[in-house]
Amino acid sequence: MIRAKNIHKWYGSQHVLHDISFEIQEGEIVGFLGHNGAGKTTLMRILTNYSKMSDGALYIDNVLISKNTIHLREKIGYLSENPPLYPHMTVNEFLMFAVHLKNVVRKNQRRQLEKVLDQCQLRDVQNKVIATLSKGYCQRVGIAQAIINDPDILILDEPTVGLDPCQILEVRQLIKSLEKKRTVLLSTHILSEIEQMAQRVIILRSGKIVADAAIEELTSGGENRHKLKLRLRGDPARIETILKEHAGVEIEAFEAGADGVCCVLRQDISLSNGNKLFEQLLREQVEILAVDTVKHSLEDVFLTYNRK
Amino acid sequence: MSKVFIIIKKELATLFRSPLAYVILCITISVFHFFFYLIIDHNQEASLRDVFKVMEFMFVFIVPILTMKTFAGEKLSGTMEFLLTTPTSHLTIVLGKFLGVFTFFSVLVGLTGIYYVLIEIFGNPDLSAVMTGYLGVLLEGGLFIAIGILVSSWTSSQMIAAITTYLLLFILYFSASVTTYFQGAMAEFLRQLCTMTHFDNFSIGLFSLADFVYYASGIVMCLLLTCVSIDKKLWE
Repeated sequence: MIRAKNIHKWYGSQHVLHDISFEIQEGEIVGFLGHNGAGKTTLMRILTNYSKMSDGALYIDNVLISKNTIHLREKIGYLSENPPLYPHMTVNEFLMFAVHLKNVVRKNQRRQLEKVLDQCQLRDVQNKVIATLSKGYCQRVGIAQAIINDPDILILDEPTVGLDPCQILEVRQLIKSLEKKRTVLLSTHILSEIEQMAQRVIILRSGKIVADAAIEELTSGGENRHKLKLRLRGDPARIETILKEHAGVEIEAFEAGADGVCCVLRQDISLSNGNKLFEQLLREQVEILAVDTVKHSLEDVFLTYNRK
Repeated sequence: MSKVFIIIKKELATLFRSPLAYVILCITISVFHFFFYLIIDHNQEASLRDVFKVMEFMFVFIVPILTMKTFAGEKLSGTMEFLLTTPTSHLTIVLGKFLGVFTFFSVLVGLTGIYYVLIEIFGNPDLSAVMTGYLGVLLEGGLFIAIGILVSSWTSSQMIAAITTYLLLFILYFSASVTTYFQGAMAEFLRQLCTMTHFDNFSIGLFSLADFVYYASGIVMCLLLTCVSIDKKLWE
C-alpha cells in the first residue's frame, strides 16, 4: 500500500532523512520511534505530501505520489503533532469545513459528520467553540477531521502528547477503535503506546532507519540478541569469572543467594554461543538449576538501537 | 468551485468573528464620512473624484491589516498543515482567501454607496463616472489584497507580513513621486509602476484598458506567485 524508496530530505545543507526505504501493507499498524529530531515528523509530512522529498520515490497503491497528489490526499487522514484547529469555529463548523475540503460527496456529508461525532464522542461539545475545549477534546476533534472522509491511511503524529493519563487512555481507545481495515502510521515517544497499538516498529536515528521489524521479533531478540536468565549453583566468585571471561557475554544482573546464583546475561548470546557457555559451566562443576530466555522490552530495543 | 466558496465563507467568518474587523469598518467609514463632508463642502460639485483618491490612500493602511493573517496566521496556528494535506489545490486555497478578503473589502466600499445617493439628491452626478470610479477602487483594492496575501505566504509572522506589505504598497503608491530624481525609461517605469497613475483615470470616470490590464495582471501575477510561494515552502 505504501512504498518508500530511497527517500532523502535536506533542509538547506542539513541532511535530515537518509535513504529511507520501507513498505507498509494494507491494514498494518506501524509505529515510528525515534528521539526528537530523528526525522519522524519530516517523514510523516512527506507521506502526507505536506513536505516534498529531496530525492527518492513514494508510492501509494502503486501510484507515484509526485503524480496526482490531490487524488492521493483523499486516501490519507493526518493528525499533526499540534491538532490543526481554528479556535473561533465550533466543532460542527470545523468538521463541516473539513468534510467539504476532503471531497466527501454532498449527500454523505451530514452522515459522515454524525458518524465521527459519535466515533470520537464529540456529541456533548459539537456546538462549542473550539477555543473553549480541553486539550483532550481538541485532540479528538483533530482525530475526527483526520477520519471524516474514511481514509484508507491514517497518519498520527504523537496523538497523545500533552494529554493527562485519562485523556491518553481515551485517545488510545479511540485510535484502537479506528484501526480496523485501515493502515495506521503512528509516531510517539511513549513506547508502551507503540507496544499496545502497533504490530510493527520503524526506529529512526539521525534520519536513518536503524530497525524495521515486527514488535514481537524485536522484543524476542534477533539471532544475536537473546537475553538469558540463569539460576546456577556453585562458587559465586568462580561463576562470575566464567561469565565475565566468556566471549560475547554481558552480565546485566548478578545476585548470589543461599539457594544459588541468579543472573541475567544479555546481548550477543546466541543459542549456540549459549550452549558453549553451558558446557563450560558444567566442566567447571557449576550446577545449572534453571535457564530462561527473557524478552527485551521495547524500551531496551529502542535504547540499544539509539546507543549504536 | 464549491471549495472556493467554502474557503471564502471561512475567511469571512475569521474576519467577522474578530473585533479587528469591526474596528477597521468603524474607523474607515468614519474617516470616509469625514472626508466626504469636507470634499463636498469644499468643491461644491456632485462628483466623488476626490473621495475616491482619499479611499485609495486609506487602503494603503487598511489592506495590510486585513491580509496579514491570511497565510501567516494559518502557519502560526498549524492549520496550514491541515489545509495543504486536504485534497485541495493551492490555487483553490489562494483564490478562496483572496476572494474572502476581497468580499470584506467590497462590503467596506459598498457602505460608501450612500455617497452617490446623497450627491444624487443634491446635484446631478454622472453615474457612469461614479461607477468607473468604484471599479477603480475595487481593482486597486484587489491589487493591494493580492500583494498582501503574497507577502503573508512568505512568513509565519503576521507583524512581518503587515510591515512588508506596508512597505510594498508605499513603494507602489508613491513611486511616481520620485520620478523627478530619474530620467528617461526609469522615470517612465516608476510612473507606470505607481498605482496613482492608473487610478487617476478611474477616479475621473475614464476607463482605460491599459489601466485595467495593469490592475488585472498585477492581481493574477500576485496570486500565481502566492501559489508558487506555497509550493516552494513544501520543498524547503
